[in-house]
Amino acid sequence: MNKLQGSINNIITSESLSLVYILVNNTKITAIVIDTPTTNPLLQIGKAVTVIFKETEVIIGTGTNHTISMQNKFVGPILSIESKDLLSKLIIETTVGKITSIITTNAVKQLKLVVGLKVTAMVKTNEILVTE
Amino acid sequence: MIALNFQKKLIAANGKMLLSVETLIKEGSLVTLFGKSGAGKTTILRILAGLTQPDSGKISVHNSIWLDTQNNINLKPQKRKVGYVFQDYALFPNMTVKENLEFALNKEDNSNIINHLIEMVELGELQHRKPFTLSGGQQQRVALARALVQKPKILLLDEPLSALDEEIRYKLQKYILTVHKEFGLTTLLISHDVSEVLRMSDLVIELNEGKIIRQGPTNQIFNYQDLSAKFQLTGTLIQIIKQDFIYILSVQIGKDIVKIVADESEGNNLAIGDKILVSAKAFNPIIQKIG
Repeated sequence: MNKLQGSINNIITSESLSLVYILVNNTKITAIVIDTPTTNPLLQIGKAVTVIFKETEVIIGTGTNHTISMQNKFVGPILSIESKDLLSKLIIETTVGKITSIITTNAVKQLKLVVGLKVTAMVKTNEILVTE
Repeated sequence: MIALNFQKKLIAANGKMLLSVETLIKEGSLVTLFGKSGAGKTTILRILAGLTQPDSGKISVHNSIWLDTQNNINLKPQKRKVGYVFQDYALFPNMTVKENLEFALNKEDNSNIINHLIEMVELGELQHRKPFTLSGGQQQRVALARALVQKPKILLLDEPLSALDEEIRYKLQKYILTVHKEFGLTTLLISHDVSEVLRMSDLVIELNEGKIIRQGPTNQIFNYQDLSAKFQLTGTLIQIIKQDFIYILSVQIGKDIVKIVADESEGNNLAIGDKILVSAKAFNPIIQKIG
């Protein structure tokens, strides 16, 4: 599980849903939640929060320019790669901290991922949990 | 605030035990008393209700003294504004549902409360039936409503749902939460069911051999992070398979067994038999109508 510490920078609420913007080391992370500042007291601008997402939900792209709907993109070099039959585990040193990604070993081969290569780790807005 | 500070010598299964309790409970909270059988949980509720006398001590509820053994103060149970629900519903068999509720009403009180309670716990269609014609869950709803007729300040629930099956329990938990809020009650619940405790209570007091060993917010006592996730279930781990960088967990949740993928940081400290809390964002599940 990836856990990052940050603080809420902005909240946009519409009916039952809120888009929550969290600043982690000056990088913005976006999460969508079924909550509003009224239903969840955690949703306050300036509040210190932890952002959580699963290692299996982190998508890897090579390079830095992607025209893609992903709102959370963290750029940095690959620190380590461990590969087994089907799955591989990567650690990337990004602007928001170390992020672990579990992707298929096939993907590692296809993208020619190696330690030191600059990649973008991406997480969908609806995969991000915001907690205290 | 409810201030409890009392002692009582008890004879427990393995000899003598001193029940010694000192705690403050905030008005309006829903507190679970958690611990092994024989830890003294039921005795605490009985002492609070005035059904059992402690050897020494004091109980004050919102600044009025209910018990002070030093000054010979001991309010009678009927003066204590306490509603009590037991595991066995303890209804009067010869009275209808409505009569059971009416029997609990003080003569000078307004009887509107009866109809209001019947409506709240949805007993309308059953109100003229006798208890023996009702299911366990229905009888417990009657017992819950009856405990509230006198508008108590404190609701005491001694394993009220442990004889009921999962689905009915869940429904009754919702009724309890509704009345707890609507009547501004302070509720003390005895339960052994972790998922029930997580779902219901704000605070947990854990007891062992007559002493409070831990007390705090439910998530702290059960050591999980409150994720405010919308998809949260508690279950028991029945199988752990490690493959590559993930664990495949089989978890029994109610009657169902589900499989969940955990990454190493989640799965490293788990063992078969562990109770676990499974949280997910509400966006992932795929829904299909069945039947």
